[in-house]
Amino acid sequence: MGRGLSRILAVAANTFRETVRERVLYNLVVFAILMTLAGLLLGPLSIRQDEKILKDLGLAAMDLFGTLIAVFIGTGLVSKEIERRSLYPLLAKPLSRGEFFLGKFVGLGFTLLVNLSVMLLGLLLTLAAIGRRADPALLTAAYPIFLGLVLVVAFALLFSTLTSSTLAAVLTMVVVVVGRFADVIRGMREVLPGVPQQLAQALFTVVPNFANFDFKTRAAYGEAVPPAVLGWVTLYAAAWTAVVLGLGLASFRSRDFQ
Amino acid sequence: MPQPEEAHADRHAPDRAVLVTRGLSKSYRTGHVIQGRRPALQDLDLELRRGEILGYVGPNGSGKTTTLKLLVGLLRPDRGDATVFGEPLASRAWRSRAGYLPEHPYLYDYLTAAEYLDYVGRLFGIERKTRRERTRELLALVGLEQSAGVPLRRFSKGMLQRAGLAQALVNDPELLLLDEPMSGLDPIGRRLVRDLILELRRAGKTVLFSTHILSDAEALCDRVAVLRAGRLLKVGPLAELLRVDIAHMEVLASGIAAQGPGLEAAARVVSLGDRLRLEVEERSLGRLIVAIETNGGRVLGVQPVRRSLEDYFFEEMGGPATRMGEWGEG
Repeated sequence: MGRGLSRILAVAANTFRETVRERVLYNLVVFAILMTLAGLLLGPLSIRQDEKILKDLGLAAMDLFGTLIAVFIGTGLVSKEIERRSLYPLLAKPLSRGEFFLGKFVGLGFTLLVNLSVMLLGLLLTLAAIGRRADPALLTAAYPIFLGLVLVVAFALLFSTLTSSTLAAVLTMVVVVVGRFADVIRGMREVLPGVPQQLAQALFTVVPNFANFDFKTRAAYGEAVPPAVLGWVTLYAAAWTAVVLGLGLASFRSRDFQ
Repeated sequence: MPQPEEAHADRHAPDRAVLVTRGLSKSYRTGHVIQGRRPALQDLDLELRRGEILGYVGPNGSGKTTTLKLLVGLLRPDRGDATVFGEPLASRAWRSRAGYLPEHPYLYDYLTAAEYLDYVGRLFGIERKTRRERTRELLALVGLEQSAGVPLRRFSKGMLQRAGLAQALVNDPELLLLDEPMSGLDPIGRRLVRDLILELRRAGKTVLFSTHILSDAEALCDRVAVLRAGRLLKVGPLAELLRVDIAHMEVLASGIAAQGPGLEAAARVVSLGDRLRLEVEERSLGRLIVAIETNGGRVLGVQPVRRSLEDYFFEEMGGPATRMGEWGEG
């Protein structure tokens, strides 16, 4: 293993330990309670309805909790290091700024993967508890959610190299919200004809379309996402993440730490 | 210990300077609307010789911390350059051979001291077993072996400073860049760090440390570099800066009053509890000693007057107007 990769993994492992020690994964307890309550309350409903609602609720909770973690932890990962000056002794070592930045990204990405995996397992267990069998369609819907969260982390890191953690969280949230309504923005001239075409197009272009990662409804009906679509979504997420991370990296590299 | 990433051509060249800066300059932006630039460091030419301890001293805002941050890459210079172990400043290869302690270090408070040192060891690519041994050694060295498993959030300021020093030593560095290493330490901690720095010199390490505690610089440094307003005022051996004034002698006496007869021969009398420190011209020394003994006093010692580093600063930087209390962050 190259020395650079080993340093990135060291930072990533420490970032994961930080999120665990900072009790970030406590959201899993809330999720477990939510799933248990849903399982108990949905029992009287018809067979197809309770399963669909449970899947819908489970996937939506995975998406929501994941997004909150990605935004609020992601924006703090670098900006708090700068504000508290905890990165000073580290950057004086053979660790490059790029390795530090990527290590933070990988570390939080891994935290989100663990978080999502445990929640998915919880959802499957809840379904099993009410007599439903494990549905592979859920896995094909959870994977794009993870890709979307990884992209949110990239945005959070980019903004955290530019501004304070609070403002970075606001900006990241704006991107997430606008990105979820990207299709609405593209078609906004149909509702608001006064909006210049270029503005609508520019907004649609600079913000990723987070709706591309949303297959919750399809999965709730037991319909698996085709592999070709998953492949396209993976490429879409990889391209956006690479661009946003690249911008974040360039910004982080050019910074002075006064 | 870590394996250097590149071969180091200067390893067998003991006379070569470990660190050289040429015209190193840095300014900071001021203002939000109308932007200007405030120079923080101007045209710094400095050499750090292998095996020496160089004290980097100067009042607030003189550019001490800026210099150290430029050297470790936390700041980018406006102009000028520097080499460390013959490598350009931007190279990462020399960092395996150096250690840095920032001013008021903030270490991850969710880790224990042992975990933090282990993490730092990983960044140097040190093997797990060696890391474990090194962590134990270092915690013992800085007097924290009893607190190895305590989260850093429960550490006092002095304990954090010692843990910060330990992290700077993880890779057994040849060069140490220490920004106010005595800051926040109690007398025992200061003594420990002083002894540690002297021990590092005995082991052939090179140390550059900034300080506002002049007595520490006097006690530890081979040479002192004096900064004022971002410019290097003077650099040289302490003996040169604190020249010995053989025309004046200092007499330490006990058992006499400051106003005793015959003591007017002394140019200056300072009371030190039950003792007196008298400064006298060499030609009046005999007369003064006779006066002390005639008055029933006892001469405890006689030595030439030597300027303290503090005296030097008062003279060079405009006298007592530069109050010691103003010193600190640079």
